[in-house]
Amino acid sequence: MSGPSAPPVEPAPAPTGSGWQRLDPRMLALLPLQELKRWIGVVIGLLVAGSVTGGTWQLYALLIPVVAGTVDYATTRYRVADERVELRRGLINRRHLSARLERVRTVDLTAPLLHRILGLSTVRIGTGSGGATDDAPLDLDGLPTDRARSLRDELLRRAGESTAEPGEPPPERVAARFHPGWLRYAPFTAGGLAILGVLWGGLWQVGEAVGIDLRVLPGLKRLPDPAETPWLLATLVLATLVLGVLAVVVLSVLAYAAAYGQLVLRYVEPRGPWRLRRGLLTTRETSIDVDRLAGVTVGEPLLLRAVGGARLSAIVTGMRRDDAGASLLVPPAPAAEVAHAAGEMVGTADPVVAPLRPHGPQAVRRRWTRALGVAAVLALAGVAAAAVLDAWWLLLPALLVLPAAAGLALDRSRALGHALTGRFLVARSGSLLRARDVLAREHVIGWNSRATWFQRRAGLTTLQATTAGGHGYVEVLDVPEAEAAALATAAVPGLMEQFLQRR
Amino acid sequence: MADSAVMRDPAERVSPRARLRWLVGALGGGAALLVATALLAGWRAEVPWWVLLPVAVAVAGYAAVVPQWRYLVHRWEITDTALYTQTGWWTRERRIAPMSRIQTVDYNEDALDRIFGLATVTATTASSAGPVRIVGLDAGLARRLTEELTRKADAVEGDAT
Repeated sequence: MSGPSAPPVEPAPAPTGSGWQRLDPRMLALLPLQELKRWIGVVIGLLVAGSVTGGTWQLYALLIPVVAGTVDYATTRYRVADERVELRRGLINRRHLSARLERVRTVDLTAPLLHRILGLSTVRIGTGSGGATDDAPLDLDGLPTDRARSLRDELLRRAGESTAEPGEPPPERVAARFHPGWLRYAPFTAGGLAILGVLWGGLWQVGEAVGIDLRVLPGLKRLPDPAETPWLLATLVLATLVLGVLAVVVLSVLAYAAAYGQLVLRYVEPRGPWRLRRGLLTTRETSIDVDRLAGVTVGEPLLLRAVGGARLSAIVTGMRRDDAGASLLVPPAPAAEVAHAAGEMVGTADPVVAPLRPHGPQAVRRRWTRALGVAAVLALAGVAAAAVLDAWWLLLPALLVLPAAAGLALDRSRALGHALTGRFLVARSGSLLRARDVLAREHVIGWNSRATWFQRRAGLTTLQATTAGGHGYVEVLDVPEAEAAALATAAVPGLMEQFLQRR
Repeated sequence: MADSAVMRDPAERVSPRARLRWLVGALGGGAALLVATALLAGWRAEVPWWVLLPVAVAVAGYAAVVPQWRYLVHRWEITDTALYTQTGWWTRERRIAPMSRIQTVDYNEDALDRIFGLATVTATTASSAGPVRIVGLDAGLARRLTEELTRKADAVEGDAT
């Protein structure tokens, strides 16, 4: 008989009375390690006590996590029956978690490295629409990976979240997929710069403290003293700098590959959710309901923009504040692919590529005065410090601050803009951290309009569209008051009009 | 289509007693600051005693100007569909929250408020940037407003997310 094109589903392990199933036996290897983390204080204490008093009894302390892990395995059971999914665990602290199948909205698979080596995955079942009042997610920690996948497909099918045939994985549409070319954007993030700064500072400190004298190395005895020969010193400094940069590049590429390798962002037909799986060592998966997706943010920090890259985050309602990092959808990657993914996520490419309305000459002037004002203060301080401390090398950076600020002001004024396209409110600002926010109009809750005394004099205001996701608002920076009113009126009809007056 | 329409101020003012309450608050804070400065001057020799003078002047200036300025700026308005407030003296902030999206309505009195018979009404939405607050209302009016807001917010359908 010809088998189906999909690999056959592994039979479920034999149930132990009334449908309860155990985790995979391979977890007996991993659970003690997890328990070790919990019992580490006790174990270390006993080991120390034992070594002090002599004898070998303290080695039995290492049995504690093994016993705890075995008890955990033996007492953990789950079952899917009667329109519910249930999980029982614990011997002393018994916990019984359950969720109604129809309330299951997301099922995510995660596989840390050790799990992957053993061929296991963790299934995390989420209910409701997300948010602080949600039930705690149900974790089935340790099922064989393909059993976990088929369980996920089955749960989603029975919850009504998927229309796939039983036994078949649901059809999907891919919005973004990792390929090795993405790695060349890895060093151009703030993380890379920070590492470089730390490395550079660290090397400097170490060099000074230790007073490196290369002449102790054999064969270099005949080299002149670096402190007395400027060219040798300069070469050494340059070599250190180059090595430092290389180290940063290699480290950031490795970290990027580990965190984002094999990334796939895809949409499960026909009603979602969006599923993001990423990771080379530990695979992580997150799901985002289409209802909770309020919009996206295309981030283009300065360095990344300069090399033609961008990144994508989601504005998700109900995502807890500490999950902010989890809203990153596409890490630094080619700008065209990020734009494509953004268009796929919001359903249309329009808001992602649409030209934006500029905010007028007053807003531009504010960008210049703010940048040059700060730069002038810094430059003056630098010149004063150079004069007072007799450190004339300070003059160079102090003077460079001004053209740098001018470039910043120019870039910032070009970035500023907003638009209203069909279903979406679009706003962009910034230079070092440029971001284009795309927010669905139906996710706008209300409006905040902030204006400092300077802004009021210039006839400008900063309009914030409040929303339940992300930071809580999308900001339209330094926009003329009349345009702010018009934008709010057009974006959410029926709300702002009653509070307007003719100028 | 109102081409050059801009947002106007909300219609209602807060209670005039709020000025007194803010004045007392500013003076209290200023007194604490003066005491701290005096302690610092007494403890560290490099802080001279005449430092107290500019601090006192700053406190007096703040107390004379800010409560009145705040009273002029703080306004509120409630309609059938929305709650609208204006706060702040240097940075003026206007907030609009639609009735259909208000999740909770809180009534609050702190110690100073109670002395002057004032209260604060806060309406929250699902957005972390969204709470709309009216500070310095007459306590009786604040109670009636809280009830009215709760009634109106409940009357509109939806789960307000």
